Amino acid sequence: MPPTALAVVTSDATTRHPGLTVIPHALRFRRFSLRVLTLLLGLLFATLMATYVVVSSANDSNARDHARANLELAARIVQSAIRQRLDFLASSASVMAGDDALKQVLRTGDNRTLASLLQSYTQRVGAPVIALYDADGQPLASSEPGMDDENTGPFRSLIRTALGKDLAESSGFAYLRNKLHVLIVVPLYAPHPNIFGWFGLAFPIDRAFAEKIKDTTHVELTYLSLDSPQQPHLLATTLGQAAIPTVVNAAAIANQARADHLPRPATEIIDLPDDRYVTLTWFQAMLGANPVALVLQRPLSPELAPARELENSLLLTALAAFAVATLLALVIARGVSQPVRQLAAHTQTIAAGDYATRITLDRADELGQLADAMNSMSAGLAERDQVRDLLDKNVSPEVAAQLMRDGAALGGEEREVTILFADLRGFTTLSEKLPPPELLALLNRYLDRMSGAIEAHGGVIDKFIGDAIMALFGAPVTQDAPADRALAAALEMERALVSLNAELATEGRPPLAIGVGVNTARVVAGNIGSHRRLNYSVIGDGVNVAARLQSETRKPEYGANIITSAATLAACRRLAESGLPVSAFSFRPLGYAQVKGRAEPVEIYAVS
Amino acid sequence: MPRIFLHSPAPVLACLLAFTCHTSRLAAGNVVVIVKDTKGQPVTDAVVSLIPLEASAPAPLHPPVEPVVISQHGEEFDPYVTVVAVGTHVSFPNLDSIRHQVYSLSKTKPFEIPLYGSGTEQSILFDRPGIVALGCNIHDWMSAYLVVVETPHFMKTAGDGVARLAELPAGRYRLDVWHPRLAGESRRDLVVAAADAATQTISVTLKPDRRIRRAPDGAGGGYK
Repeated sequence: MPPTALAVVTSDATTRHPGLTVIPHALRFRRFSLRVLTLLLGLLFATLMATYVVVSSANDSNARDHARANLELAARIVQSAIRQRLDFLASSASVMAGDDALKQVLRTGDNRTLASLLQSYTQRVGAPVIALYDADGQPLASSEPGMDDENTGPFRSLIRTALGKDLAESSGFAYLRNKLHVLIVVPLYAPHPNIFGWFGLAFPIDRAFAEKIKDTTHVELTYLSLDSPQQPHLLATTLGQAAIPTVVNAAAIANQARADHLPRPATEIIDLPDDRYVTLTWFQAMLGANPVALVLQRPLSPELAPARELENSLLLTALAAFAVATLLALVIARGVSQPVRQLAAHTQTIAAGDYATRITLDRADELGQLADAMNSMSAGLAERDQVRDLLDKNVSPEVAAQLMRDGAALGGEEREVTILFADLRGFTTLSEKLPPPELLALLNRYLDRMSGAIEAHGGVIDKFIGDAIMALFGAPVTQDAPADRALAAALEMERALVSLNAELATEGRPPLAIGVGVNTARVVAGNIGSHRRLNYSVIGDGVNVAARLQSETRKPEYGANIITSAATLAACRRLAESGLPVSAFSFRPLGYAQVKGRAEPVEIYAVS
Repeated sequence: MPRIFLHSPAPVLACLLAFTCHTSRLAAGNVVVIVKDTKGQPVTDAVVSLIPLEASAPAPLHPPVEPVVISQHGEEFDPYVTVVAVGTHVSFPNLDSIRHQVYSLSKTKPFEIPLYGSGTEQSILFDRPGIVALGCNIHDWMSAYLVVVETPHFMKTAGDGVARLAELPAGRYRLDVWHPRLAGESRRDLVVAAADAATQTISVTLKPDRRIRRAPDGAGGGYK
């Protein structure tokens, strides 16, 4: 087996019983509304968070791009401003070249007067520095004294370049008096195209220039000298003092990267004390010196301001959505949980046995259907209960239960039961004396007492036959000591009759008398009847014997109200032998009695 | 008063001459003119001239024999404002070590003294009344005014804005005030009585000073 397959088997083993997955207790919700709320808000939160993150990051990158584009534009504006200035100086130089005063002065060869003329020119042109060189680049005069020595080098270098390349002008960055300047040399034609000499003009790239650029572009501009590359020093800046060390450090790092030819991003983000700045650093070559770093910076927060506004309104919308979603979730959850709780309560009502109450949910959805179903169920249960009630009255509760349990199946089984027959003596005479309603009332009163006595000892009323009662012990439910119970019931009936007779005596009625026959025998028990109408009963010879024994009580020679058979006596004895507690009965043998339809006589006993 | 005379010899001479010539005339008055600007500040270098209106013959001007001097010193003209009578010669000595040039394109007297070193070139005769703006074509900041008047009665205000004109024959005059920055004209008629010492206070509106200032040496200038 390849290792991958093995791995699959292993992982299978861990997820073998998905049905046993246990939900952590904390995630179980006691309330449906909480679940709906959590789900809805969770979903909303996830969506909003995702939106916020996406929008925020898009805004951020957009702001950076915008700042970068602005910086690049500002860099072009710086270059263009310098270029325009140079163009202006170049055209000014050509106007100066045409000035007759200049020619007059040049004719005299008086360089001091020339210097003062150049000073006039600086004011006319607005160039702080104007110098004049001869055709070979030797200085003739300068508007500023002291410009003839080391500061003249850059101009001469430009003149050499222009001469070498036959250019109409040449420009570059240089330090004049240790200050950053842009220089241009323009030939002085006298006459054209004869080059008499060169105008050298310069203007400073200073704080004022930077402020002017800042006015138009809103970009912070800083110049740093890299004469000591490890430790750039500030030439000028539009930034505050606090920002300078950070910018200087960043320039040192950028310069190191440049020196090492490492790839550098077009812009970087630098954290200054007041804001984060998108920074573009550009290294300008210098005449006769290390390059200078021109650092253009634009704060990020103004770029982000509209985005922040958007994010704030997004946040507000999110909060509003949250509030609405909460309300909505609560309403929905309530709409579901309320009827569910109602249904649950109703279920408990039903469980408590109240089938009459109906639940009303005014809704057409599944819950409404459930309520309808519950109402149908209540109706069904009530009906069943009614049936059961009727059944209980018409058959004994045990038979009713057996019918409920096993259904009314036709069938039978052979089992040993003790059958009790009781009959009201002299009922016929009584029936002639009493009007029928009174007779029935008396009969029912009598039957009620007798039934009570039988049921008190676990007997099951099989049927009433007129004034006669047939009861079973040991069927349909098997019970212990059925014979014992039957005899006990018979004695109980006798006592019950005594108390009934006492009542009758107070009512001025004649007393009643009964005869009871008890027999134990194996009989066939089951539902007897047609498909439409059944009775649970027992049939067999033993039943006839029991009835016969009851009849025997009428014989005055026996002097017994309760007569039982030897079979019942035997059953009682077996019980006594088995060591179970038994009732104390006295049996008086009465000899043998002939039973109709039976060849052998039955040995009978009077019980008391 | 003596301070003004030191700075401006031409009116001194004119006055002296006028005094000597008219000393026989007893009917003479004095006029004190105070020139102030709209803010009440005294105005220096205002030229005050009185032109007689009733004289049957023009007053004799008696221009000075020696030229009036406007020197070039420290790359500036000195004085800034000079007033002379018609027919006066003016010389422009260069006291600097570098060369200068003097020119005027004013209609009163267009002229040029080409580039010259230290010393004095020829003097120039100013034979028509009017304002002459003077310049140096090398040094733009160098500027001066020469006011040529057709009357012997003229004076330049001093630092206190006061010009005193003395020994004026009695009669009606037109009082003219001029200043390099004067907006419009300022003239009024007045009558000078014998032994009069009237004070005329004249308020003038001055335009802003737009003179080119010379850049300080080695300042390096700025980006403009």
